[in-house]
Amino acid sequence: MRKKRSSQSRLKKDVLEQSLCTGCGACVGLCPYQMVYKDRTVQLFDCDLPDGRCRAFCPRTPSDLPLLRESLFDALDATDEIGPVKEFWIARAKDAGLRARSQHGGTVTALLRLAMSEGWIDAAIVSGRLSEREPEGRLIDDAGALADYARSRFWAAPTVAAFHRAPEGEGRRIGVVATPCQALALAKIRTAKIDGYDKGKTLSLVIGLFCGWTLALEPFQNLLETYQLSAANLTGMDIPAGKNILELHTAEGPVNVPMAEVDACVREACRYCVDSTAEFADLSVGAARYGRNSGEMQNWNQVIVRSETGKKLVSLARSRGILEFRETPQEALHELKNAAAEKKKKALARIIAKSRSPQNLLYLNPGDTVVKKYLKT
Amino acid sequence: MTRLLSPAGSRVLFLGNEAIARGALEAGVSVATGYPGTPSSEVIESLATVARGRNLYVEWSVNEKVALEVAAAASFAGLRSMAVMKQNGVNVASDFLLHLTASGTRGGLVLVSCEDPGALSSVNEGESRYFAGMLEMPLLEPADFQEAKDMTKWAFELSEAIGNVVMLRSVTRMSHASGNVICGKFPAKTRKAVFRCDGPIMDSQTGPMISTPVVAKHLLRQQKLKTVQALFEKSPFNCYTGPARPDLLLVTASACSLYAAEAVEMLGLQKRVGILKIGTTWPLPPRLVSGHLRKAGKILIVEEVMAFLEENVKVLAAGDPKLSKGKTFFGKYDGTLPFAGELNPDIVADALAKIFKIRRDALSPSYLEEARKTAAMLPPREQTFCAGCPHRASFWSIHNAIALDSREGFVCGDIGCYSMAALTPANGYWTMPTLHSMGSGTGLAGGFAKLAPFGFKKPVLTVCGDSTFYHAVIPALINAQHNRADVTFIVLDNQGTAMTGFQPHPGIEVNALKESVPAVDIAAVCRAIGAKVTVCDPFDLAATGAVLTDFLAEKGLLKVLILRQACALSPEKKGKKTFEMKVDEELCLGDACGCNRLCTRIFRCPALVWDRKKKKAAIDEVVCAGCGVCASICPQKAIVKTPVASAFASGG
Amino acid sequence: MKNKNSGLTKNLILTGVGGQGNVMASRALAGMLVDAGYVVTIGETFGMSQRGGSVMSHLRISPDAVKSPQIPKGGADVIVALEPLEALRVLTVYGNPGVSLISNARSIDPMGVITGERDYPSEETIHEAFARLTARCWIFDATAIGLVLGNPVLSNIVMIGALAGTGLLPIDRRMFAKEIRKTLSPEKYALNLKAFDAGCSMIK
Repeated sequence: MRKKRSSQSRLKKDVLEQSLCTGCGACVGLCPYQMVYKDRTVQLFDCDLPDGRCRAFCPRTPSDLPLLRESLFDALDATDEIGPVKEFWIARAKDAGLRARSQHGGTVTALLRLAMSEGWIDAAIVSGRLSEREPEGRLIDDAGALADYARSRFWAAPTVAAFHRAPEGEGRRIGVVATPCQALALAKIRTAKIDGYDKGKTLSLVIGLFCGWTLALEPFQNLLETYQLSAANLTGMDIPAGKNILELHTAEGPVNVPMAEVDACVREACRYCVDSTAEFADLSVGAARYGRNSGEMQNWNQVIVRSETGKKLVSLARSRGILEFRETPQEALHELKNAAAEKKKKALARIIAKSRSPQNLLYLNPGDTVVKKYLKT
Repeated sequence: MTRLLSPAGSRVLFLGNEAIARGALEAGVSVATGYPGTPSSEVIESLATVARGRNLYVEWSVNEKVALEVAAAASFAGLRSMAVMKQNGVNVASDFLLHLTASGTRGGLVLVSCEDPGALSSVNEGESRYFAGMLEMPLLEPADFQEAKDMTKWAFELSEAIGNVVMLRSVTRMSHASGNVICGKFPAKTRKAVFRCDGPIMDSQTGPMISTPVVAKHLLRQQKLKTVQALFEKSPFNCYTGPARPDLLLVTASACSLYAAEAVEMLGLQKRVGILKIGTTWPLPPRLVSGHLRKAGKILIVEEVMAFLEENVKVLAAGDPKLSKGKTFFGKYDGTLPFAGELNPDIVADALAKIFKIRRDALSPSYLEEARKTAAMLPPREQTFCAGCPHRASFWSIHNAIALDSREGFVCGDIGCYSMAALTPANGYWTMPTLHSMGSGTGLAGGFAKLAPFGFKKPVLTVCGDSTFYHAVIPALINAQHNRADVTFIVLDNQGTAMTGFQPHPGIEVNALKESVPAVDIAAVCRAIGAKVTVCDPFDLAATGAVLTDFLAEKGLLKVLILRQACALSPEKKGKKTFEMKVDEELCLGDACGCNRLCTRIFRCPALVWDRKKKKAAIDEVVCAGCGVCASICPQKAIVKTPVASAFASGG
Repeated sequence: MKNKNSGLTKNLILTGVGGQGNVMASRALAGMLVDAGYVVTIGETFGMSQRGGSVMSHLRISPDAVKSPQIPKGGADVIVALEPLEALRVLTVYGNPGVSLISNARSIDPMGVITGERDYPSEETIHEAFARLTARCWIFDATAIGLVLGNPVLSNIVMIGALAGTGLLPIDRRMFAKEIRKTLSPEKYALNLKAFDAGCSMIK
């Protein structure tokens, strides 16, 4: 009998060497062989085990996406562009203090706080502070501390690894704030059927983040150096709509970097990503930006409610007055869908350019109807 | 009471190296120096143990060149002195040696080279016999233990008789073998050191000690060889055993003469083969050798590694057409014996059997088949870092830092126990692809670091031991700093010359004579050079790893990490466990764990084994040194360390 | 191959793993024999081989002559092994139908076995091979005896005691005591004598 190829070597060949690794951390923290260092996934030693969870959970190994959608969401909610949509809202945290400390409307932090104070989750995993040396996922079990992690950073943190490392306890429930790739990994974890593995059950809430791309740390650090900055100087960063710049917040005030310079630092894996709204989360949150003049939307979030859990949480937030809502113009959803469809098309074109065959979509299945739709033939 | 000082007339079991040391004592040696290196170390080591209370200065010098210089100073002052080293040590000393043989010497000066044919404990099988020819100094090679003593003693007399250095060459199977020696007397008088330098330039006994005028001194050196040859003609160290008219004359020297005698006996060829054992290998005494060559038509020259003796015998024979006519020479050039590796009685017997076209008696085919089948199922016992060895922990961190850095960094290796990281790559977790001479790792690393303009992107690291640091690394380190080489330089400081048996070095506050001496601090030297220096305990994997990843990320400069932790076999540590180690069988999930036996499959500690019955990791308490490092690598925290309250040691 | 004309020379090989006290045992043994008037030649492999590798001492015990420090292949009369795998390794090179073997039963896994790349032969396989390749053999756990006495390294002395018990060499307790008294402290002297006696009693 031929020996099965090890999961690690397949990950190396099919994901790492194909520059598909998003640094999400799904393969890290399960074993001593993989680590994330400076946003890179590193294989420390060879492991010859087949059927590893590292490969099973990776969002860039082939997966049965239709089955995932079917087992997590209501088929009636499905959309091709942005995954399942149960509800769509423009919302923000009512707490102005929280909003001030947050990236946009503070919705994510407000919802996490609520879930934790209601006992829906015991702890939340969020990406570490901007100032921290190594990007890392943090397990927070103090609702009061959540606001410290409310600002976005634009490079990947191995958040899923923090979930793997989270201690297991009787009835323990965990919520995770996830980028689209991380949300996909978590969906694979939630639905995994692996003997002796049931940690997926502790995953009670996944709040997805809209994501266009992340930055590769090293080229971005080199770019910062040209502005006499280092990651440690940053207090925040943002992409104001329509200006075509990346705004870096520092103690000495903002520094604007032209998008063309930033573009060169985008993580290659992100160019092959077809998901901009975290389609496999319970609910997804992003900056509200639509229309020509989006200035007045600056401090609002768009919220896609996808699952029953997501729906319950948002309606509780509404009834408790944790979130405030405003009217949701039809064109907002429309614009979001168009943008998401564009990303899918571009990513698929790049995948084909890489694989040199429309029959080989690397981690995606050409038979998936959603994929098919955006595949340029 | 040490055996080395046994009274005259007593019959003692001496290691070959002890016999050499005893010979030096009987010659009245005043100064003995050396640098540790297998198989030479026991000469200086044993002299050091008896130096106290005698008029004898013994020094572990910083390297072989300095050792020879220190010994030469004593000779210039009229004392008898010796410098002891392994074969490649002679290369280190050779620049000074070239000039020393030209200036000449006064008090008897013996250079002892203990060589390692087959490289049993070396990464070369270098030959120093050719130095004797090249630098025109007499070469003596003992063939048994009594000779090792007697010949050493005579070497001092010979050196004084000709006013030049005499080289005495031993091999592993002589230096590290033991045999009976009948002791002789110690000299009654000790000498006083006097250095005269007011005589004429051509008088090496009173004039300046200098190699010029070069041509005149060179001619003088060659004249001395005439005296040497005359003495060698009568030397009792050359002897013939066998019939008056043998079918074959076997010419040999060194331990090979024991193999030859045994081989002749094994084949029952005593009546057909005569053995000419040469003790004075260079320059060959021409009359003696020619006389024996005349006896037989077939000549077999038996020696290890290069064909030094064969060449000299052939040159001698070629000078006399009557002598060489009709003779067949067997040796290395005709393929009878190999040019590489060590010999043994079987190889010599095979050679003789081939020449005489006879069959060697063998064991029954069924027994041989049984032995062959059994041998095939035996797992080899490869060398590893010992249980508790700090190098394993160091390489673990080095490997992980290189892996995290992801630029395919590599380590230029050096000479010490840590060479095993290159000899069995898994021991060093596949990080060390180069290994040459002492100090060369740092020189190479500095060179690799300058290849960036040619598209070379890999980061370069290098390691050296504490003793190696002083021996030959410092110039290369200065070179790297001065030329802005981006090198991560790691000193694996295990607090002694561990590989060869814990001889002191300049970093230790005690010298060979156990006197208190100032230590030269490696960190201070590196800081003085201008390098960035950090000192860490390699057993602290987290701290060491953090420093190394930082160093690799910090580009464009020389970075020094000193990993300090004493060797597990060091006298202060041996037999004392810091921790009692245990595998918690509840926590260890065995093959059900995702770790895929990281501890036994990758970490490679001889004390951390796989229990084949329980299918879990286990500690072999007999082998475990209690260093505690493995507790840090188990992802399940199943390897538990408990501090040992009071460490104790008892010997067997 | 047995030496044709060396019937009077006894060839003994002491083998084990680095750190088991092989060299100390061979020196002690040789010291006793030199005192008894024999010409003894020992050939040793140590240095790098010490680091977890196989260690082997060749003892040539002759009434009159210095012998080669390497015993010819197939030329061992007695093999004393501190580790069973090493006993087999030496047997397959230096063994012959007349050889006697005394072997420690306690195994030390070589690295290839620890990493799982190779198998350590089973106890049964080892005993069968011993039976086929030796004229006589004695196997017992000398390390366990050492551990009872307080230090596993004492297994080397236990083996010397056993060797004396077999009568294969002209050595006895009195000679051993005389030899070790030269170098050991009174406390260690007593402990080593105990180990010697324990080994001796293992031979029936």
